[in-house]
Amino acid sequence: MSKQVSQKRSRALQRREDIAGYSFMLPSLLFFVGFVVIPMVICIWLSLTNSNMHTKGGGDFIGLMNFINLAKDKVFLDALKNTFVIVFVSVPTVTAFSLWVASAIYKLKMPVLSAFRCIFYLPVVTGSVAVTVVWKWIFDNYTGILNSVLKATGTIDSNINWLGDEKYALWCIILILFTTSVGQPIVLYVSALGNVDASLVEAAEVDGATDLQAFWKIKWPQIMPTTLYILVITTINSFQCFALIQLLTQGGSGTQTVMYYIYYTAFKLTEQSGHFGYANAMGVILAIFIGILSAVQMRLAKEK
Amino acid sequence: MKKLLAMLLIGAMTISTVACGGSDAPAAEETPAETGAAQEAPAETAEEEAPAAEEAATETEAGGDAASAITLWTYPIGKWGDEATVKGLTDAFTAQTGIAVNVEFLAYADGDDKVNTAITAGQAPDVIMEGPERLVANWGANGYMVDLSDMLDDTDKSEIQAAPLTACTAPGGEIYEYPLVMTAHCMAVNLDAFKEAGADQYLDLETHTWTTDDFIKAVEALYAHYNDTVAAVYCAGQGGDQGTRALVNNLYGGSYTDADHTAYTWNSPENVKALEQLKSMDGIAFDASLAGGDEIVKFYQGILKMAFCWNIAQQLDPNSAGTGSGLTVTGQEIEFMSFPSQTGESQLQGGIWGFGIFDNGDAARIEASKQFIKYMADSAATVDAVKAANYFAVRSTAEGTDLTGIWADNEIMNEYQVLMPQLGDYYQVTPGWAGQRTAWWTMLQQIGSGMDVTEALTQYEGEANAAAAE
Repeated sequence: MSKQVSQKRSRALQRREDIAGYSFMLPSLLFFVGFVVIPMVICIWLSLTNSNMHTKGGGDFIGLMNFINLAKDKVFLDALKNTFVIVFVSVPTVTAFSLWVASAIYKLKMPVLSAFRCIFYLPVVTGSVAVTVVWKWIFDNYTGILNSVLKATGTIDSNINWLGDEKYALWCIILILFTTSVGQPIVLYVSALGNVDASLVEAAEVDGATDLQAFWKIKWPQIMPTTLYILVITTINSFQCFALIQLLTQGGSGTQTVMYYIYYTAFKLTEQSGHFGYANAMGVILAIFIGILSAVQMRLAKEK
Repeated sequence: MKKLLAMLLIGAMTISTVACGGSDAPAAEETPAETGAAQEAPAETAEEEAPAAEEAATETEAGGDAASAITLWTYPIGKWGDEATVKGLTDAFTAQTGIAVNVEFLAYADGDDKVNTAITAGQAPDVIMEGPERLVANWGANGYMVDLSDMLDDTDKSEIQAAPLTACTAPGGEIYEYPLVMTAHCMAVNLDAFKEAGADQYLDLETHTWTTDDFIKAVEALYAHYNDTVAAVYCAGQGGDQGTRALVNNLYGGSYTDADHTAYTWNSPENVKALEQLKSMDGIAFDASLAGGDEIVKFYQGILKMAFCWNIAQQLDPNSAGTGSGLTVTGQEIEFMSFPSQTGESQLQGGIWGFGIFDNGDAARIEASKQFIKYMADSAATVDAVKAANYFAVRSTAEGTDLTGIWADNEIMNEYQVLMPQLGDYYQVTPGWAGQRTAWWTMLQQIGSGMDVTEALTQYEGEANAAAAE
């Protein structure tokens, strides 16, 4: 009898805790559903329609026609290629550079370490418009400091149109993206390296392990979760590169990316029939690629 | 106690959620303003005004059939992009009619996106100020605008010049824009730099015209002197593309569209010759890092010796910097010029600006908007409205007020009138206008990157005509 009462009370307590827990989650859940899940479903639905701003409702269902047209759209294919170039160059370099810097600074004294963290984090917290404007000045074709320095040192004879030449523009974008992307990974790696069990490293060193071996066998496995997180967020950020393109080249000079083309199709190509549906189809493809790449990264990291 | 605390927390969370949800209504008005980072300041203004505007806009004056408040979105047309100037104009209107005007300032970089977003969300402004290529050929043609034909009687039609009125009229006869001002877009030269290079001999400063041969010789002389780029065929985006269009079309007499404004005619021998000529000139760069506004900055700084993106508003206040009419930042003299052509007589690109009303389905707000337009474009107050734009009035008189002499005391404006007879066809109402603009600057980029001119013209004219056929 008393056992039953105790079980009942326990269940009541559990229920009360559940209710309290879900209640605390409710606001976030509402926002998540309202601003992530529902738009995602709408996006997938609209990608199967010819929706545009001039017709009421969601447009007519046209099946996979938007996706078929995308496969034949030269601008989209160029944008996809550029996006992959950005991702495949940016993700490894950001990760490797962040790890290198973090390894070099994480043992420094706190004030020095804080100063380094501030320096590397500054581009992240500075508004992307401000950062981009400064880079625009640096790359300026006529009065940019980069051309001035290169000319003064005899590296180049005449000015290079960094943002107006297809040979250089995409690499300039990648460079800027790199500077704005390394801040957070460095801070994360500094924290992760600081949490590595020092006794294990010392034991390895006592056993004669070199610095490289200690890093590769002891530290690297322990910071793997951080690496995985950095890989995934850097991949997503690189896929979604938009502001730099919008502010610097507007998709010209061979810098068209999928994100910018989505925006352009949705908001600039308003005369094109079914432009909302077409833009949403691009969004779906981008999401699929991000999902696949993130899954591959997680799988590889897990195996490691 | 714990229970009470939990209930209180739940209550607080529910209220906060509801409160957040409740703010969605005014936020809908803000949505378009949030689409562009470059518009932070105007967006903030709109944010502050939006709830009041929405509240007021739904109210109707007791006993009247006009709403007590309307919203106006304006592009930066001269000082119509300046908050203090526009406030002076709208305050005067409010004092006379009792109708409040809530203004949002748009930029050309992302203004269209904001308007399109607002239309899609059912939150378009009541009144918008821009040109026929947007109000008539785009939003009007898609059924978003109110036909203003009833605002123009025979007297109005006789007072307004035929060309702008035609441009503001849709093929079906609906008038989607009530025109206020007009100008001819031109180019400019740095006269001091020209003199230094001995290139001023090729300029006719009486008529402000020059021939294609003179232009070529001037560029050669400038390049020989400065050994650097002296002018840029800017093509980073669509901003200021009227300049590159006029340059290419005028050099050898090419055209941009057909006379009926139904198709784009870029791929002509004249345009091929013009682009090949420009491409072959050492002093001219096809610059994909500059748009029209950037080119003006470089010209104003004295780096470029010519600007293809120019008009009277720039001549009066170069780069909107307030450093003196007709002067670069270093005080060098700027002369406005017609675009070069074989005969010297060019077809200049017209600019027409006026007001349109979005059909928001509210008769009271439409009526109030019409009162606003009547006040600004056809009353004694039109003088101030025109002067704020820094352009020329499209009409001779407004309700008895003579508009022909409003710039009599301004030497530069008077001198600029010499270009007005060269005003060419207003072809910006051709279908597919918004889409073809991207094709144009992308084509210039490709030519600059080495693509064959004929091949580029063929490909991108095809894209433009495909946009027209949509």
